[in-house]
Amino acid sequence: MAAKARTPFIELGLMTNFSFLQGASDPAELVSAAHVLGYDAIGIADRNTLAGVVRLHVAAAGLGLRPIIGCRLDLLDAPSLYAYPKSRAGYGRLCRLLSAAKMQNRDGAWQGKGQCDLSLSLVSESLRAVDDPVLIAVPDDDLDAFSTGLPRLCQHLPVLGHIAASYLYRGDDRARINRLSRLAVQHGLRLVATNDVHYHAPARRPLQDVMTCIRQKLTITKAGQRLHANAERYLKSPEEMLRLFADWPDAIRQSRMIADACRFSLAELRYEYPSETVPENRTPDDYLAELVWAGGARRYPEGMPDKVRKTLNRELAMIAKLDIARYFLTIHDIVRFARGEGILCQGRGSAANSAVCYCLEVTSVDPAQHELLFERFVSEERKEPPDIDVDFEHERREEVIQHIYQRYGRDRAGLCATVIHYRPRMAIREVGKVMGLSEDITAALAGTVWGSWGKDVVDLRVKEAGLDISDPHLKRTLALAGELIGMPRHLSQHVGGFILTESPLVETVPVGNGAMAARSFIEWDKDDIAALGIMKVDVLALGMLTCIRKSFALIAAHYGRAYSLATIPDDDPAVYDMLCRADSVGVFQIESRAQMNMLPRLKPRAFYDLVIQVAIVRPGPIQGDMVHPYLRRRQGKEREVYPSPGPEYDPDELRNILQRTLGVPIFQEQAMKIAMVAACFSPAEANQLRKAMATFRSRGKVSDHKEKMVGRMVERGYAPVFAERCFSQIEGFGEYGFPESHAASFALLAYVSSWIKCHYPAVFAAALLNSQPMGFYAPAQIIRDVREHGVTVLPVDINFSDWDNSLEPCAGAGGGSSWAYALRLGLRQIEGFSGKDALRLTGHRRRPYEAVADLRHRARLSPGGIRLLAAADAFRSIGKDRRAALWDARAIREAPDLPLFTHADAEDEGEDQPVSLPEMPLSEHVVTDYQTMRFSLKAHPMAFLRKAYARREFMKTSDLPYSRFGQWVSIAGLVLVRQRPGSASGVVFITLEDESGVANLVIWPDIVERHRKIVMGARLLAAHGRIQIADNVIHLVVRNLEDETRLLDSLVDGPNQSASAEPDNIARPASPGSGRHPRSISIIPKSRDFH
Amino acid sequence: MNNRRIISVFLPHFAIQRWQKRTGDNPEADLGVPVVLAREGPRGPVIHDVNLAAIRLGVRCDARVTDIRMLIPSLRVEQADQKADRQDIARLSQWCHQWCPWVRADGDNGLLLDTTGSDHLWGGEARMLSGMIAAFASLGLTARPAVAPTLGAAWALARYATTPAICRAGSIADDLSSLPVAALRLDRETVLMLRRLGLKTIGALQALPPAALVRRFRYHGLLSASPSRRLDQALGRIPEPLTPEIPAEPLRAMRQLLEPVCDASGVTYVLHDLLDELVRRLAGRNLGARRLRLAGYRVDGGVSAISAATAMASQDAGHLGRLFENRIDRLVAGFGFEIMTLDIVVFERIENAQWDLSGGTDDDVALSQLADRLIARFGHDAVLSPVATGSHLPERAGVLTPAASFHRATDKVETVSSPRPLRLLKTPEEVQVLYAVPEGPPAQLVWRRQTHRVVRSEGPERIAPEWWRQRSTARLRDYYRVEDTEGRRYWIFREGLPDDGRGGAPCWYVHGLDA
Repeated sequence: MAAKARTPFIELGLMTNFSFLQGASDPAELVSAAHVLGYDAIGIADRNTLAGVVRLHVAAAGLGLRPIIGCRLDLLDAPSLYAYPKSRAGYGRLCRLLSAAKMQNRDGAWQGKGQCDLSLSLVSESLRAVDDPVLIAVPDDDLDAFSTGLPRLCQHLPVLGHIAASYLYRGDDRARINRLSRLAVQHGLRLVATNDVHYHAPARRPLQDVMTCIRQKLTITKAGQRLHANAERYLKSPEEMLRLFADWPDAIRQSRMIADACRFSLAELRYEYPSETVPENRTPDDYLAELVWAGGARRYPEGMPDKVRKTLNRELAMIAKLDIARYFLTIHDIVRFARGEGILCQGRGSAANSAVCYCLEVTSVDPAQHELLFERFVSEERKEPPDIDVDFEHERREEVIQHIYQRYGRDRAGLCATVIHYRPRMAIREVGKVMGLSEDITAALAGTVWGSWGKDVVDLRVKEAGLDISDPHLKRTLALAGELIGMPRHLSQHVGGFILTESPLVETVPVGNGAMAARSFIEWDKDDIAALGIMKVDVLALGMLTCIRKSFALIAAHYGRAYSLATIPDDDPAVYDMLCRADSVGVFQIESRAQMNMLPRLKPRAFYDLVIQVAIVRPGPIQGDMVHPYLRRRQGKEREVYPSPGPEYDPDELRNILQRTLGVPIFQEQAMKIAMVAACFSPAEANQLRKAMATFRSRGKVSDHKEKMVGRMVERGYAPVFAERCFSQIEGFGEYGFPESHAASFALLAYVSSWIKCHYPAVFAAALLNSQPMGFYAPAQIIRDVREHGVTVLPVDINFSDWDNSLEPCAGAGGGSSWAYALRLGLRQIEGFSGKDALRLTGHRRRPYEAVADLRHRARLSPGGIRLLAAADAFRSIGKDRRAALWDARAIREAPDLPLFTHADAEDEGEDQPVSLPEMPLSEHVVTDYQTMRFSLKAHPMAFLRKAYARREFMKTSDLPYSRFGQWVSIAGLVLVRQRPGSASGVVFITLEDESGVANLVIWPDIVERHRKIVMGARLLAAHGRIQIADNVIHLVVRNLEDETRLLDSLVDGPNQSASAEPDNIARPASPGSGRHPRSISIIPKSRDFH
Repeated sequence: MNNRRIISVFLPHFAIQRWQKRTGDNPEADLGVPVVLAREGPRGPVIHDVNLAAIRLGVRCDARVTDIRMLIPSLRVEQADQKADRQDIARLSQWCHQWCPWVRADGDNGLLLDTTGSDHLWGGEARMLSGMIAAFASLGLTARPAVAPTLGAAWALARYATTPAICRAGSIADDLSSLPVAALRLDRETVLMLRRLGLKTIGALQALPPAALVRRFRYHGLLSASPSRRLDQALGRIPEPLTPEIPAEPLRAMRQLLEPVCDASGVTYVLHDLLDELVRRLAGRNLGARRLRLAGYRVDGGVSAISAATAMASQDAGHLGRLFENRIDRLVAGFGFEIMTLDIVVFERIENAQWDLSGGTDDDVALSQLADRLIARFGHDAVLSPVATGSHLPERAGVLTPAASFHRATDKVETVSSPRPLRLLKTPEEVQVLYAVPEGPPAQLVWRRQTHRVVRSEGPERIAPEWWRQRSTARLRDYYRVEDTEGRRYWIFREGLPDDGRGGAPCWYVHGLDA
């Protein structure tokens, strides 16, 4: 790109929308406006932040402008300052200053998130006597105060050389600038012209006004003078600024001089890996090779296969060539710590499925067994650091995070930021509030956005909501909301992306505190980091790893066998048999209903089948219509076809890419590869495409890429229809697609968890329950599933249960064998019961408890805790059922936990008279079980209603397999899960459960609309419809629905009382303050709903 | 055992029925549209009351509005006005004095009446209750009354018995025994616990040894968590008095005069006497008068009255007296007043404030007292006071509001720092101005056919249209302060810029004049 002509004036005071709710244009808009106006450089000055500088840097580089990096320091006790570092060192000092103010408040305490306490003394300490940053004092409206404060400012800041002057059409601008000019002369300073830019074009003023109102929680009509009087704070052309400052030519000249002096560029932030990971006197490559070969020997005790040795040599050579050995060493370092602490972890990501990572024990996918090409993921063209995410047990990830902070220090390690953007609903709500729309109208407007990401407000079905779209006020509101969508709202911490550096991180980027205790994160998000080529390590949390670790521990304790992710036997046919039966409740990734439907069709028999299974049931492939072709080809119903380009090209170019997935693109890499091969995208272009896809949610243009790709494919002789489909597949991938390497890592966890489930079902269920909340299923389904596998499940009991669910030797359990383990439910299953009480209970259980009061006298449990135990029916071993135990528990006095009080209990009230309470019917026990633990071992609620349903000729779900295709059937059950997948165009899937099993309902949109309330609200549902069977999967296609939730009431009251419960009779509770969470009162816990 | 008779009236649909009444919503027409009233809950709005159509759809009170709206998109949600409801129920309790003198509102949808010895006036309790139902129905309210010897029993029967219940002293226990335990005015958790224990009816509670129940539901000062105490209250074992609400004492002073007065001085004398008494009472309750009414009852049976109002609540007898001073002659005394009353019609709480250490008065007080006197003399609309609105547009920057309705501004509106002319023209007047296009300062202006050479100017101050209010064709204004050769200063503006695309060449206007 040709160098731009030098303009006499450079605008320095650019506020972007990273000055949250103050700047109304994003960096790219400002840069392109500057480009149009002919600027050759542009300065950025957001308020106390550098969050927007990378975007400015990237956008400016694209248009050949030179960005001048800086920020506006808003001080607590002095006028604001613009600061522009001239060099890398000065930039580092500025970052350190901001970090200091963001990490500690004025009193030296932990600073709150998003706060920045800058004081003049802090600034003067950091930037004193270093003629590095250019400092410009920014006068506010009150010039009298400014002029009295100026001497102090000059005294503290020897570097201060300028005063900013703006011509903002305030009426007295000339007088004001003249006065500033005099002040400058008095103090030996120079005037600099700037327009205090808040937006790139005058048309943004309304949005800026709205932002001001949002920030100050005002409506637009009440905001008055807090809004700017005019729209002059836009980016003006150099000529315009020259005209305005015609009388102060030096102010213009100074802006140019500052711009010329500040040569610092973000490109200078060369990334350095931390050095701790390499011992002294060793080169990283050398050391990595040593670790890899040593690890390889451990991995292959019987000798390394030749294939692996070759692969390792090749990979190590490439790593050396790309100089990324230290990256692997850093990952290895973290993983080694985790392993030392017994924290289970697994790597995934583009570089993870390499032989090197396997030997470093970062991953467990054995390269000897599986074809996973490293080069596919670390390409030489992509000069980006490789990408490895490491998943840790979700319960112990925090230990890893804190270890990283400790090992590298808070000034060298930080989490990435995530920029939270305004989403449509939020934008409408906030703008609506500012524009004075009533709560009802904004709610109606926001309600027209389905899902959290509508593309545009124009897409809103506003009319549907009964609103008059032609009303100008409403129209204006919608237009403004549309402008607000995608604007950054605040910074949040990334879930686990760590930045580690050799030199202090705080001198590379400002680091601030997170909302969570003991977390700090940098101001840039992952795209910014990628743009600057900085390495990131993702430290993520995964519930299944917790579950697997707990499973391994239980197997080791009870069966004496030690397993790890890598030592689970491969390709166990029993495991695949189980999966082909769709028997996968609780198994990682392939447990959802959609996955379960797919299992019997896909019939996985090998590990790679699981890789595909994991990847294929995702919104991306579903949206791109890849599932059915793949299935047909796998079942041999369809021939594999590979469209070919024109005769002058290699006819097999697509076959090479797609053969392993039978010609259907399933993985993200394949999609990218198609773009590169079939549409001749350069690696750089492909990378751009990938990024555009990944970020198109917030902003970005996909259509340009589409034109390019489809055009080139057609040019090369592909059918346009095929080209279009390829693109739409890529589009689907952008958001939800799985790279093959991720799929492989996930498939391994899926296999391991299946293996445990298959061979140690009791262990698996216990570990799953002990790792809750996680996964797709609630405890009730997990327990039901394990019982169906012949495991005896024993109830929670004060004399047998630990906090965790555990295994208990039990004669006759486990079906065939005479002696096996039963699953003893743990105290943690009781809702609201505290771990502290559990510790006391188990700690004092040297001999069995004999009475309810024992728990009070011996173990000092809180009376509330004892009541919870009683309500959960945990006293059976002392011969007390729930009601009797509750009766006893109630008698325990709430008193301070002191010996004096606890001992005095019995005496002062005399002997307790025996009372005979009515016996609790089984149905009520079941309902109470659900209320206290969300499941019941005693019976299923439906069992009590079965007689009545049988009279109505309803089927049990277990009888469904014996029905004919198309048969008219009625079933009833509790609603377990409702789903309305975005990819299913309004179809709702409901899973019903009765005492015999579960049934899958499919409800078409017309029925959903007709019975909306029932579909979305019923707990007990009666459904009538026709049976559909495909590949051993049975669906009930619903034609009619009834809400029978009220029948559940009769389980507690008996049919007589519930009938009289007319609405009139329902009095409100006597004291409105005592309202508990509705869940605790309802009969059966709510279903889990996914929208 | 006592022989009191207490009626509890349960108004199951009070909020929605009052809402229908207030909004003129026709209850017959609501059959189709489900309407709910919402109040704020801890997690967003919850349903406060429902209409018939909503009941049929199974909408229950206390559910979250968002949840229900998802189920029933056609749901109409209105804001509950609990404050108005409480006022209504208080008024209703006054209205209930027709049956007996002891009435109290009970929660936000019930009333309690002590009708001991009143029923014979209505031909017995049964007829009294049916009369009540009819009377409430005439107000558009569904009422479910029950009468019992104790408050607790009446409350329970009104809400949980099927027919209008009349409970005799001897049969309380029997009458209550089949009712659910919730009828004992217990909170949800206690009710749930009792049900878990298998104690579902009041009868089941009665069957227990009292000590066992006491031990399990200990009384910690919360009656709603203590079934034994509630049971005792309902059965009359422990007393629960019904304390009626006595209407607030009216702020009225009255003098019966020995000799009718008919001259102004006599009336003034009585007025000050009355004022002294009232001000004493105001001071005792920290109240101040905003509006007063002096009435004279003539010997011949006629009444003549005058009123006065203040801009700020006041307890100052001297000041209040002066408000009537020049108007006493407007009273038509005829043959003289034999009774005079002074009512404080509107009063407000005032904070005890010492204006300053010297005991002098604050400017605000002096100003508002002046305003009061001027209003008293010239009328309510004659005294205006400017209030800043905060708009940048000069003509909208302030509005004149009657000083009487002017309250002391609690949050001061920030005012613009740039100077404004001493005099602002009501409508800007167009002028011809010589200036360098496009944005040069004015050099000469012709206003009212006089030509003024501009020797000095300052500006422009650019004020953009209020985009949220004005049409998109509204133009911005550039204000200049200019001075002519004679030293006269004008505040003029140019409307629009030549190339703003919102009309032709910009026009100039004079908007203000400076001294």
